[in-house]
Amino acid sequence: MRDKTWQDLIAIADLMPKDATPVKFGTRELAVFDTVDGITVAYARCTHGAANLCDGYFDGKTIECPLHQGLFDARTGAARASPARVNLRMIQSRTLNSMVQILI
Amino acid sequence: MAPPVLTPITQALNDGTLTRDELKGFLRRSNWPAFRLLTIWIVTLCVTGYLIRISMGTGWVWPAMFVHGVVMVHHFALQHECCHYTVFKTRWLNDVAGNICGFIIMLPNRHFRYEHCDHHTYTQLSGDDPELIPLPKNLWGYFWYLSSVPYWRNKFSELFNHTLGRLSEDEKRFIPKEEHQTIIWEANIMVLLYVAIVTICFVTGWWAPVWYWWLPVLLGEPVMRFIRMTEHVGKPCISDMKENTRTNYVSRPMQFLCWNMNYHAEHHYASSVPFYALPQLHEKLRHVVQVEPRGYLGAHIDILKQLTGRKTRSDATEATPRA
Repeated sequence: MRDKTWQDLIAIADLMPKDATPVKFGTRELAVFDTVDGITVAYARCTHGAANLCDGYFDGKTIECPLHQGLFDARTGAARASPARVNLRMIQSRTLNSMVQILI
Repeated sequence: MAPPVLTPITQALNDGTLTRDELKGFLRRSNWPAFRLLTIWIVTLCVTGYLIRISMGTGWVWPAMFVHGVVMVHHFALQHECCHYTVFKTRWLNDVAGNICGFIIMLPNRHFRYEHCDHHTYTQLSGDDPELIPLPKNLWGYFWYLSSVPYWRNKFSELFNHTLGRLSEDEKRFIPKEEHQTIIWEANIMVLLYVAIVTICFVTGWWAPVWYWWLPVLLGEPVMRFIRMTEHVGKPCISDMKENTRTNYVSRPMQFLCWNMNYHAEHHYASSVPFYALPQLHEKLRHVVQVEPRGYLGAHIDILKQLTGRKTRSDATEATPRA
């Protein structure tokens, strides 16, 4: 298995400011969250009903599923309200040279 | 985890019906529209309640209770919005209001939330959608449903069973195991409160809950059944949101009472959009969803045509239920 490396995901300028931006990385569907505590990246699908979370309501801290309004903490991935019970899978991320990068 | 699903709103974004910026604009939350509407709501309840008071002792008390009841049963519309967390920006306020509404109309809020989640996942799919109202077989079935007798029979039976710790197989499908105890507690608390109120009535001779609450709700429920039928009944039992749900144009007072839920197809497209943004969302989606310009009456004309053989029944194209 190869070691994880930092890879460019999206330019910061292309993010939806203070919101969730859907990004395709190969076959992976990811969500980039511009949170009050900085940029975070997670797999975009809700762990309950598998809707794309980027289409939901985001308040800077939590992302609400557009299908059933389950809630996740976009900074940690923690499931915060039913029907979501399984945490979101986060991907380690950083910003470098105006890019959002993920360790993958 | 379930396989990725293409929600109607993602589809609308993909095909350009709606831009992401527009969607995010519609999703913006605020407490103020709900506070404004709730103020008018409470004034309306006071006015219709006053009608009961001034007509007490006369035959007019029955139409007064009916009018009050029509408003009372629309607590369902508010509860429904609350279960989507789209009434108030402050999330816990939705839980508080949803539980109060559920207590008023005897619809336990947590149970309804889980049931309604599956309604949105499997809208109008026989055997999967727990809220599906089947197209009646004939006119007798139509009027029987509107009488609300089967509705109340189901609701009383559900509540009774939950107080005893029993959940049906269907309920076990949409309520996760970890939540079974919550549902049982919810039912027990609700019944205890009802019993306490009835006891107070007997002890004190104060019967206001009967005249201003329970009788009006019973009298008004057929109106809510009439409205609920217009959402999906008579539409095909398929998963295509463009086909299986009706949006109804209704008068301003009815739109007020139902918290804009007459824009039902738009709500199913994007259930996170707050009630006050649904009219704007409708402007974007009106060409892709089913719109009934004649409103609730038009929807029932459509249903009655299907029941009387003047139009092909919508369930003739029913999808195969899940095994």
